[in-house]
Amino acid sequence: MASAHRPIIQVTNVSKRFGKHEVLSDISLDVAPREVLVVIGPSGSGKSTLLRCLNLLEQPSGGEIVIDGKPLLAKETNIVAVRAELGMVFQQFNLFPHLKVLDNITLGPVRVRKWPAAKARDKALELLRKVGLEDKAGAYPASLSGGQAQRVAIARALAMEPKIMLFDEPTSALDPEMVGEVLAVMKRLAKEGMTMVVVTHEMGFAREVGDRVLFMEQGRIIEQGEPKALFERPQQERTRAFLSKVL
Amino acid sequence: MDFRFDIVRDYLPLLLRGTVYTVCISLASIALGSILGLGVGLGKMSRYWFLRWPMHAYINFFRGTPLLVQIYMVHFGLIPLLYGKTDAIAAAVTALSLNAAAYTAEIYRAGIQSIDKGQTEAALSIGMTPWQAMRSVVLPQAVRRMIPAFGNEFIVLLKDSSLVALIAAPEIMYWSSAMKNQYIRVWEPYLTAALIYFILTYTLNKLLVLLERKVA
Amino acid sequence: MNRRLALGIVTILSAALLAGCGAKKVADNNEGAAAGSGNSGNTAAGSENGVAGGNAAEEKTYQFASDASYAPMEFLDKDELKGFDIDFLAAVMKEAGLKYEIRNVAWDAMLESVKQGTEFQAGVSSISITPERGETYDFSMPYFESKNVIMVKEGSDITSGLDLKDKKVALQGGTTADILMTKIMGEGNTDLKKFDSNAVALLELGQGGADAVVADIAIVRDYIKNNPGKKYKEVMDDVNFNPEYYGLAYPKGSELKARLDPAIKAVIENGTYADIYKKWFDEAPDTTHLLETK
Repeated sequence: MASAHRPIIQVTNVSKRFGKHEVLSDISLDVAPREVLVVIGPSGSGKSTLLRCLNLLEQPSGGEIVIDGKPLLAKETNIVAVRAELGMVFQQFNLFPHLKVLDNITLGPVRVRKWPAAKARDKALELLRKVGLEDKAGAYPASLSGGQAQRVAIARALAMEPKIMLFDEPTSALDPEMVGEVLAVMKRLAKEGMTMVVVTHEMGFAREVGDRVLFMEQGRIIEQGEPKALFERPQQERTRAFLSKVL
Repeated sequence: MDFRFDIVRDYLPLLLRGTVYTVCISLASIALGSILGLGVGLGKMSRYWFLRWPMHAYINFFRGTPLLVQIYMVHFGLIPLLYGKTDAIAAAVTALSLNAAAYTAEIYRAGIQSIDKGQTEAALSIGMTPWQAMRSVVLPQAVRRMIPAFGNEFIVLLKDSSLVALIAAPEIMYWSSAMKNQYIRVWEPYLTAALIYFILTYTLNKLLVLLERKVA
Repeated sequence: MNRRLALGIVTILSAALLAGCGAKKVADNNEGAAAGSGNSGNTAAGSENGVAGGNAAEEKTYQFASDASYAPMEFLDKDELKGFDIDFLAAVMKEAGLKYEIRNVAWDAMLESVKQGTEFQAGVSSISITPERGETYDFSMPYFESKNVIMVKEGSDITSGLDLKDKKVALQGGTTADILMTKIMGEGNTDLKKFDSNAVALLELGQGGADAVVADIAIVRDYIKNNPGKKYKEVMDDVNFNPEYYGLAYPKGSELKARLDPAIKAVIENGTYADIYKKWFDEAPDTTHLLETK
């Protein structure tokens, strides 16, 4: 554990079924503030579903999730307000194609946070500078490369000043030469102390940036631990088998 | 064929006045129908059966019964019930709007469902409510894709508006019919009416192509 | 969410109103209209649709068209054409010794095909004789005097056709009532509402869309008689409502006019006309105008 603080994410006995198919079974895990948790595993292992349960893009079938002290599945919790504290970056970027880059970023602050337009604009430009795309403020998403689009998507999520960032295979849809620029932005974010949950196939990133790596298969957590330990001395046979394929 | 241009000339002022009515009735109906249709379409996509079911019934009713029957029902049933007495223009706009709403509801639904789910998810992930996500993210994109279908619906509605002549709304077909009855000649009134409708729909088509090009 | 819910409720309500109330009103009217044409009784003998009389085998069979939607003048009883015009034509053709057939054709189609004269050689359908129409068709001598009356709610202050000038009037387009009221109210006046049928015009009055209906006296009396609860009355105006006359319509230059006018005259003079008239209108006709008008 990287931190002794009260966990900012607490997942207890969460399960998720699509019809008869159980995608998540009995998942429990904690994430501490400022921790970077990397989730790895084969496709279909449930890692993306787990991530999407954290901001209720998927509704868990059972269990309990507490984000920053708020129980997500309790009736009185305002899920919209909780989501605003959780930034999310998608595999397919999901930029809004009808809006310019700048407006993609200011949409949330203006509509949700009710910031004045000027304040939102300053913040957006600052974030674009941070991800190295200041010159693209007036461009439409269609004109961006994959790597640029994903960096804009990260800026869009950060504009809400979230407490936690969720990354759902952020580099999987990118051409190999663009993976680096996105990972670089994520690394910087981690260094600044952002709490991050990252679902990825980038083992190098997991090893270098992750405080903890969690291996999932068939909807269960098989093994977790510090990256170095997990990658070099996996305790479980299935972890070993997976790592031998991807490393 | 003997075609009497003199009686067309006689009736032209009335036919042109009728054209103004046709255009106004159609514009009002497509506008109201589009607003109402959005509600119906969203209702039909709702998670809640008590919204979904009635909207489904609404769409089926208005798409599954003849427009003429709907016009009569509004003119002789709904309007007198609401205002105490009936009125042809109010009935025409109401009936055509209710009918158009059923068709535009399906256009909205198809348009909205054609937008990738990831767009809604991204909007929700930055803290938007489902309604904000719909209004700021999904609808603006969907509406662009809907323009051709909307244009088509508008043209259909403009032509269908000829039916309100039967409740004596003084539009193009109404005056054509008066002209037919005065001279009991068929070709002059109907060909003239057809020409006016054609000019209207042709112009509308051109405008829509321009609009599509501009937005796309 | 609330907005969607509210919209949903409003829509459900309006749909329910349409289904409930609208249907009821329409049903009421149908009852009235059916009763209006109800004096047809058993008339089979006088109105076969097929070949009538006539023994001249070499002669051609004339085709007549009628728009059977104007009871009791011409209407469909199931699939059979009936009405005053039908019986009258049978008598005339028998008198003239000509073979004929009569078919139900929609008004517009009837007009065009009679004008061309190939499919149909004549139209018999309560067609009013007017100078404008005379430019396109030849008409027989007048065979029917149409008298129009005003129908208003009881207590109305309307006493003559001229009182209708600034009122809203509903009637059936193309009828003699239409011709009269267009003259009084002016061409292009949208307060003069011309409908497809008298039934709809009567409904318009019932639903407050008009202050009066002008229609043939037979239709108005029938309606008042069959709808006593609605409190309507009839207003006669012999001064402003000149009688209008119906004629058979032929294509321009038709030979039929010369062949049928004497037969029409004979039928009127020999009392056959009066019998048919009595059968459909329950009273004796005043044929003096018919015989003196040319």
